[in-house]
Amino acid sequence: MASPGAPMSVKQSLLDKGAQLMQSLKPIGQMQQHACTFAFHSHDMSRQIEAHHYVARVNQDILQCVVYDSDEPEARLIGMEYIVSDRIFETLDEDEQKLWHSHAYEVKSALWVSPRIPEVLAKLELANFTKIYGKFWCTWQIDRGDVLPLGVPSLMISAQAVDVAQVDQEKIMRRDDKYNMSIDALKQGRVEMAEPEWINPNADHWKQAGKGFVLEIEPTEMNAFAPFP
Amino acid sequence: MATHAASASREVPGEPTKMSTSLVDTASAAIQGFGPINRIHQHLCAFHFYGDDMTRQVEAHHYCAHQNEEVRQCLIYDGPDTKARLIGLEYIVSENLFLTLPDEEKRLWHSHEYEVKSGALFMPGIPGPIQRQDMEKVVKTYGKVFHFWQVDKGHTLPLGLPQVMMALTRDGQLYDHLKADVEKRHGVSFEEEREKRAYMKGLEHGIHPLANGGGKGVKLVIRETDCKPPQQQQEHHETSNHSVPRVFV
Repeated sequence: MASPGAPMSVKQSLLDKGAQLMQSLKPIGQMQQHACTFAFHSHDMSRQIEAHHYVARVNQDILQCVVYDSDEPEARLIGMEYIVSDRIFETLDEDEQKLWHSHAYEVKSALWVSPRIPEVLAKLELANFTKIYGKFWCTWQIDRGDVLPLGVPSLMISAQAVDVAQVDQEKIMRRDDKYNMSIDALKQGRVEMAEPEWINPNADHWKQAGKGFVLEIEPTEMNAFAPFP
Repeated sequence: MATHAASASREVPGEPTKMSTSLVDTASAAIQGFGPINRIHQHLCAFHFYGDDMTRQVEAHHYCAHQNEEVRQCLIYDGPDTKARLIGLEYIVSENLFLTLPDEEKRLWHSHEYEVKSGALFMPGIPGPIQRQDMEKVVKTYGKVFHFWQVDKGHTLPLGLPQVMMALTRDGQLYDHLKADVEKRHGVSFEEEREKRAYMKGLEHGIHPLANGGGKGVKLVIRETDCKPPQQQQEHHETSNHSVPRVFV
């Protein structure tokens, strides 16, 4: 489904090309990996999406990911996920931890994959991924049919080993077909991958509390020293 | 006092990247197709302030891709270099598309007219005449920004809730020292550029009164709600009103 709006003009395409050549776009060059996975809206787990993460490493403990709805050039930017190691996660306060989700199940069950990368190579890094935590805000709810990004960000959660947090087989099969992979084979190959000894129970808050989170707009005064707007 | 993003601590916690990890990263980048990332074609620099607090101003480096002639999607970093932190995103739409949005939605969007006309929004490294061809379009658009990482607060990690951001709408809002700093680093002059952009026509219908927070401050709050697992939805439809407002950070 395409976004509404006129097709690109020749002039705009030329301007874009020129800018791309003249500007250095350094932060963009830091994105080193494409991962495909699935996520659920925390306030409505009946809604699940396929998510394509373009991952940049801040350092060994922190990743910053840009999330799109596909890996096609015309993909829509649907959100952002930050990922931190267990070491960093344990330093966060409790209210903050509740916004984050664990990745162990997602990785072990081969929902999180690195398309077009030999699994042998991908596994080198994924071994660390079972212990990390993510905080994912979805800003364009295309699964709701939004043709433009509407509303406030939605907090997303990861698949877990319980019935209500299972990804639709159909979605998985479509993904497997597209990338010529088999979730069962991948899962088998990840059996030996070490599980974390401890997953902080403050993460995946919904599992403990049966509650998700929603954001709401609160009208307030602007703290300003000059007129606005 | 606002803390300038670039001068805020860059000391993100965490170990330096291991050699084996960076080898995997490099190999991945070479093998994988980076579809949407390759579409990113331009770097815009501007300032955002918090939807409820003009005194907190952040220099925002936008890396934008066109979805089509009327829709752009941008990644926002706190700087233009390889160490920059990904702090948010912005959607930019034409005036026509903005006018189709529900009224409730409009207040989350800000106008770009003043930012462009004042010279405060610019494309680093692009000659003025070329830059202005694109600015003639941007001046007629609206944007919607969320920041997830409050670097101006000195946060070394992306903590708390998403923040609705607004942009400059008139003289007297931007801190002089932030302006001077960005002008120096990028070799630009807002004043000179303002004169050269004086000819530009802004929004066809004027700035919409509901845009820019509708003239109010805007902030997001979080509350707990039932998570509606799939089978529960089928079995019974009770909705709970037990949700408790929660205050974060």
